[in-house]
Amino acid sequence: MSGEGGASGASEAEPTGAILKVDSVSKRFGDLIAVRDVSLAVPRGELRAIIGPNGAGKTTFFNLLSGFFPPTSGRILFDGRDVTLVAAHRRVELGMARTFQITEIFPELPIHENLRIGAEIAAGYALRPWISRAERAAIQRKVEEILDIAGLASKAHRLVGQLAHGDQRIVEIATALTLQPRLLLLDEPTAGMGDQETYAVSKLVRALHRRGDLSIVLIEHDMRVVFNLAERITVLDQGRLLAEGAPAEIAANSAVQAAYLGEAA
Amino acid sequence: MTQLLLFNVTNGLIIGAFYVLMALGLSLILNLSNVINFAHGGFLVIGGYIAYAVTPYVGFWGALLIAPPLTAVIGFFVERILIRPLYGRDPLYSLLLTFGLAFIIEDGTRFIWGAQGKPVTVPAMLARPLSMQFFFITGYRLFMVAAAIVVVAALFAILRYTRLGLRIRAGTLDLETVAALGVNVQALRSLNFAAGVFLAGLSGVLAAGQLGLEPTMGTGLLMPSFVAIIVGGVGSLTGTLIGGLLIGVASGLTAVFAPAASEAVIYVLMALILLLRPRGLFGEEGMLT
Amino acid sequence: MTVETRKLAGLAAIWLLLVAAPFWTPLVGGYTALGDRVLVLALAAMSVNFLLGFTGVLSFGHAAYFGLGAYGAGFALKFLAPSTPLSLVCGTLLGGIAGALLGLLIVRRRGVYFAMVTIAFGQVLYYIAFQWSSLTGGDDGLRGFSRQPLDLGFTRIDILSNETAFYYFVLVCFALLVAIMGFVLRSPFGRAMIAIRENERRARFLGLAVERHIWIAFTLSCFFIGFAGALYALVNNFADPRGLHYSQSGDFVMMAVMGGMRNFWGPLLGAVVFVVVQDYLSSVTVNWMSFVGLLFVLVVLFFPRGLLGFIGKRAAA
Repeated sequence: MSGEGGASGASEAEPTGAILKVDSVSKRFGDLIAVRDVSLAVPRGELRAIIGPNGAGKTTFFNLLSGFFPPTSGRILFDGRDVTLVAAHRRVELGMARTFQITEIFPELPIHENLRIGAEIAAGYALRPWISRAERAAIQRKVEEILDIAGLASKAHRLVGQLAHGDQRIVEIATALTLQPRLLLLDEPTAGMGDQETYAVSKLVRALHRRGDLSIVLIEHDMRVVFNLAERITVLDQGRLLAEGAPAEIAANSAVQAAYLGEAA
Repeated sequence: MTQLLLFNVTNGLIIGAFYVLMALGLSLILNLSNVINFAHGGFLVIGGYIAYAVTPYVGFWGALLIAPPLTAVIGFFVERILIRPLYGRDPLYSLLLTFGLAFIIEDGTRFIWGAQGKPVTVPAMLARPLSMQFFFITGYRLFMVAAAIVVVAALFAILRYTRLGLRIRAGTLDLETVAALGVNVQALRSLNFAAGVFLAGLSGVLAAGQLGLEPTMGTGLLMPSFVAIIVGGVGSLTGTLIGGLLIGVASGLTAVFAPAASEAVIYVLMALILLLRPRGLFGEEGMLT
Repeated sequence: MTVETRKLAGLAAIWLLLVAAPFWTPLVGGYTALGDRVLVLALAAMSVNFLLGFTGVLSFGHAAYFGLGAYGAGFALKFLAPSTPLSLVCGTLLGGIAGALLGLLIVRRRGVYFAMVTIAFGQVLYYIAFQWSSLTGGDDGLRGFSRQPLDLGFTRIDILSNETAFYYFVLVCFALLVAIMGFVLRSPFGRAMIAIRENERRARFLGLAVERHIWIAFTLSCFFIGFAGALYALVNNFADPRGLHYSQSGDFVMMAVMGGMRNFWGPLLGAVVFVVVQDYLSSVTVNWMSFVGLLFVLVVLFFPRGLLGFIGKRAAA
């Protein structure tokens, strides 16, 4: 499979093998430039970590990727398709799912309901006033499958709002899984967690990655998680791309160290 | 024809000035506290009736000086006691509360002063028309516009040049940050609410002189204020200002060609804005809540 | 008793009370026509709650479609044909289509802005109904029509003069609509609505076309409330511009809040309380309006979850 080239229209598929390709995106809020000319490419099946000191623009970058708002300039290609201006919910349909830094789930519903909603939307049933028994069973199977993968089966009936923080985060990841994504964007999945919870989440993320059909990009502050999981690391600093490479390279990169020195871990 | 046009446009501007006063008060409260003050019309009525009550003692000018601040004080306490508990909650609740408050105020004024309209006497010097040529511009109407201009200018000046104004403006954009910077947000909201109610009270005094006074007059003036805000753009006081004038003039102009539709036209304007520029003339993109 | 059994028992109790109403209401000082009013207003409040309690959308101008439903039914009876079912259909369509059209304009807005626009639009329609007196009868309302006896082929039910028969007719209509509403809420569509209420942003990032969903929910609720409005015209043999006023909207919202917004049957309870209180107060004092206002204030400050919401919270899984 040779690289790019031969693409006639800007929105035509580029046979690059990258699940995500970002071309020089910038995002400006009035005078503030939150993301400045960032480009990257994530090959299919990779687990990429995005790191950087606070205010580096990581979450803004995720917001651009997931369609929370459009970039001021630049292009975003998802699996060869130009999604720069595509609406958020459409991107999900195309196979991109994200979680949020502040856990965003449905707190007053039990876990299995949270998952059921995701599965039904992904199956295209959201507008249906009625689904057949067979369809309902298929949804149920999907929900149970994901409950198993996430290790939530024993707690499935509990209200999400009453769960421990770590479990809530896992529910959120699980809900994203019901969407059958090809690219999973995780925004600080272990934020605010103790060691045990961090371990549980890391384990889940690694297990998901191992299944082979999922590319994962995650923003993380916890360096143990980053170096444990990531195949490749992108470093952002003040909205710019600072460095990119294998974990060992990044760890040794003096510019990266300098960028982090000014901040309290 | 030009005479008629001029008459109606000027009339429209005068009405517009009045709408602006009301709408600005409503807008102030909406922008900072995210509360739709359904009782705004009620405060207008309170202002008018207070003026009516004190006029025999201090005359019209005294009433003009006393009634709006007094109304503002009432508003201040209403905010502190009734509305403050609701800030963290769904905006539905403050909506319902001010709604119920409007009922109470309307019925309350009816109870105290009776359902009949009350005449409000305006100083003789204002009641005379300025000239035979422009007979429709009575001194009073001119005075209303002048008062509106002065007050609006003062409002914008306060917002622009004082620390309080700065805090209100910042609070409108990001109340959390303002609170984090150590500003007493509770007090800010109360003051802001009182300021908005002051404008309502003032409108009430002015309206009383023009339209007479009766318990239901507030609700009729509330809707155009809404429309002024929607047309001008939620979140922008300048927008509210322009919106109010615009609908006033539109109303005045329509009166020339189709008198029966002169009130409906403001809603048509609103529909147009919603279709063509949903954020309003000066509104900001992404004003979802 | 498990939660399920308790729910079934509650449901059975509700229906038992409703079906037996013509028999026990006179015993507590009420009258059958009051039951009609309660059912219709409950239906209206439930339609509002469909949007408010289950989708989380703050629509405060719903009375407009209620009023349109009433006028639609009135026009049909007056100008089209002396048929009760037709009048119901016409009223429902008028309310629903108006809602669908307005919905298109405002569905991108939320929160207080949405509320403001729905109120303003409601007022436009109120104003039109008021002013266009040649068509609508203006301030006096639309008169000169009455509900027609139902001709079922094998029998004729005189719902015009037989109060009890009419009550059961209204009850059947109520049951029909409630069934449809419940059905929709239990479907995937309904679950998506609830997802929007729980966390709109998350719903969007789960792939839900939120605006489209809200528009459909809005339109459905307008059809429902249009139906309620049409029924109301049949109850009174009269259509009133005041039915379009935003204060009427406020009443519906209050019924939903008082009864409990998160609960399907909450608005029914709220309607019962509201109608009874208002009926009683207006016969006792001229200033009943301030008491209703006071009720609003007290409920909002001290009882925001409403009666059923309070109970439901304690029984949460």
